[in-house]
Amino acid sequence: MNKVYSMHDAVAKFVESGDCVCFGGFTTNRKPYAVVNEILRQGQKDFTVWAGPAGGDWDMMIGEGRVKAYINCYTANSGYTNVSRRFRAAIEKGELVYEDYSQDVLMLQLHAASLGLPFLPVRLMQGSGLMKYWGISEEQRKALEKVDDLKCVEIENPFNPGEKVVAVPCPRLDLAVIHVQKASPDGTCIIEGDEFHDVDIAVAARKVIVTCEELVSDEYIRRDPTLNKVFGECVSAVVHAPYGAWPSQCYNYYDNDSHALKEYDKASKYQDAADAAAQLAKAAAKAQKAADAKPEDAKLAEAAAKAKKAADDAAAGIAVPETFQDYLEKWVYSVKDHDELLDKVGGSRLMRLKNEPHLGYSTRH
Amino acid sequence: MAEYKITKQERQAYAIAKNIKENQIVIVGTGLPLIGASLAKRVVCPSCHPIVESGLMDCSPVEVPRSVGDNRFMAHCAVQWPNVRFIGFEANEWLHDEDRLIAFIGGAQIDPYGNVNSTCIYGKGDYVKPMTRFTGSGGANGIATYCNTIIMMQHQKRRFMEHIDYITSCGWMDGPGGREKVGLPGNRGPQMVVTDLGIMKFDEQTKRMYCAYMFPGVTPEIVQENTGFEIDCSKAEVFPDPDQEILRIIREEIDPGQAFIKIPKE
Repeated sequence: MNKVYSMHDAVAKFVESGDCVCFGGFTTNRKPYAVVNEILRQGQKDFTVWAGPAGGDWDMMIGEGRVKAYINCYTANSGYTNVSRRFRAAIEKGELVYEDYSQDVLMLQLHAASLGLPFLPVRLMQGSGLMKYWGISEEQRKALEKVDDLKCVEIENPFNPGEKVVAVPCPRLDLAVIHVQKASPDGTCIIEGDEFHDVDIAVAARKVIVTCEELVSDEYIRRDPTLNKVFGECVSAVVHAPYGAWPSQCYNYYDNDSHALKEYDKASKYQDAADAAAQLAKAAAKAQKAADAKPEDAKLAEAAAKAKKAADDAAAGIAVPETFQDYLEKWVYSVKDHDELLDKVGGSRLMRLKNEPHLGYSTRH
Repeated sequence: MAEYKITKQERQAYAIAKNIKENQIVIVGTGLPLIGASLAKRVVCPSCHPIVESGLMDCSPVEVPRSVGDNRFMAHCAVQWPNVRFIGFEANEWLHDEDRLIAFIGGAQIDPYGNVNSTCIYGKGDYVKPMTRFTGSGGANGIATYCNTIIMMQHQKRRFMEHIDYITSCGWMDGPGGREKVGLPGNRGPQMVVTDLGIMKFDEQTKRMYCAYMFPGVTPEIVQENTGFEIDCSKAEVFPDPDQEILRIIREEIDPGQAFIKIPKE
C-alpha cells in the first residue's frame, strides 16, 4: 500500500487535537521538526505528551500553548540551552501541567508500551523526589482523560517477597512522529545511527507519521533487511522531507545548525515584545540597584546605563530583541511549507551542515 | 614555549581523570566530566571505557560533543545501543555484582550525604510552581541508583546545604543504612564531590561529607566559608596540579575550541 502523503495532508489527517503524542529523536538529534512546524501552522493543540529526551521540539509547542499535560524527563537543547526556556518559564509561572519521571523510567515506559505490557515494575526513583512529589495530583489526573490515574505505586515484588519495587503505567500513545534517513512507500524505515526510542514509539502508537531524508522504492529498501528498523504496517504516513530534522542533526546526513540553535536560545528568552520589555526593565532596575549600592564603581554605573537604554529602547519599540514569537514567525509561520523553509535557510548554509563522511559531523558551519 | 597558567576547570578535569581507575566503564555526560574522561582515555588511564546514557558505548570523540546524543559521540564508538539497553546494562552490572561502573553527575544543590537536586529551587514556591526550574533528572536518577558516582559541583554556600529542596539523585540518604531503607542498592553511592576548591569524600561510618583534598592555594577556612554546613577539613591534603604537558593536551588536543574549558585572555 502506498502511504506517501504530502506534509500538509499527513498532518491534517493524522494529527488530531487532544492526541497523546510522543516525538522521536534525542534533544538535538533527529528531532522531527518539519512535522512540528506543520502542526504549529495547522493549529492542532491540547496534546498530552510523553516527551522523551526533548528539546526545542516540545519547547516550541509549550511556548505556543499547544500542550495540555507534559510528562517529561529532560527538556533542553543540550550544549545550546541548558534548560529549555519556554518550558522553564511555563513551569515557573505555574502555567504548565507537567510530570517528572527519570529518563530511565520514561524510556522504559515507552519500551514497555511497545511490548504491550499492562504496567511496568522498576527499581528506580526510590527515595527520590520523583516518587514523593507528583506534578499532576491524583485529583487532576482523574479529570485528564489521557493521563493515567496514578504516577507510580510502590509494590512488593511478588517473586521476591519483602523487596519493594515501583510500578509505573505504560503510555497509550495515539500518535508517534519520527524522522528517519530512508523510508519506502509501504512504510518500511531505515534508521541509521542510534535509533533512540523511535522504534518503540512506532510500534506502540496507534498512528505513526514518518518523515524521511530519502524516499526509496519498496524493492530497494529490502535489499538488506538487516538495516530496516520499522515494519511498514506500523506506519500511517510517509512524508519525504529532506532536512526534516533541521535545525537538529541527522546521522550520516547533516549536523546541528548551530546558528539556528543559538538564535533560538537567545530568542526564546522572551515570549514576545511585551515580555522582552518587562524582563529588560526588571534587569535595568536590578543593575541600577547594584550601581547605587557601590556608587564608586564606574563599571556598575556603566552597566546600569546600558541596561536602562536597552529597557527604554524595548519599551519604546525602537530596538526590541528577537523574541520567541519572532523566531516562530521567521522560521515557521512566514513560510507555507517545508520547501519554503529550506529555501529560506538557503542552499549553501544547508550544504555546510552536511556531515563530512570521515568525521561523522561537519566542521564547516 | 609559553607557560600555561592553570584554570579552576582544568584542575577539576584533571581531578576527574586521576579518579578514573584501570578498566573502569565511565558514564560521562558533556562538559567537564567529558574533558576529564578524555584526558583519562588519552593519558592518565587509557584502559577506561567512556559510555553515555543515550546508549553509545566506548566513545572516543574527536571533537567535543555538545550533548550525549551528538553525532560526535556516535562516530567512532563501539556500539550504538538505544537508551533502554544502556539502562538494562547499568542494572545488570549491579545484578551481577560487578563493580566496574563509575559515573559523573552534576546538580544545583547537594546535602552532606551527597543527595543531589537538579530539578528545581523552590524559593517561595514549591515543586509544582518553583522559583527556578532546571532540566530535571535526565539519566541522573538511574545512574545514582545503580552506580558509584562522582558528583561535580561549584563550591558555593547556596549549593552546599544541610537540607536541599528536592532529591533528584539519591546519595547516602540520611546516613548509614539510608539507601537500603528506601529500597536502593546499599553497596552503591556517591564516592566524592569534585568542586572548584577540591575533592570532598564521604566518611565510611557516618556517610557525611568531609574535605579530603584541597587544590593549591585553598585553605580549610575557604572551604568552610563556601559550605552551608559544617565540614571537616582536618584530614585534607593538597591535590597537586598537573604538569604542563597535561595542560597542553587539554588545550591543544581535547578542547581546542574551548567548548568547556574557557581560557581567560592574557
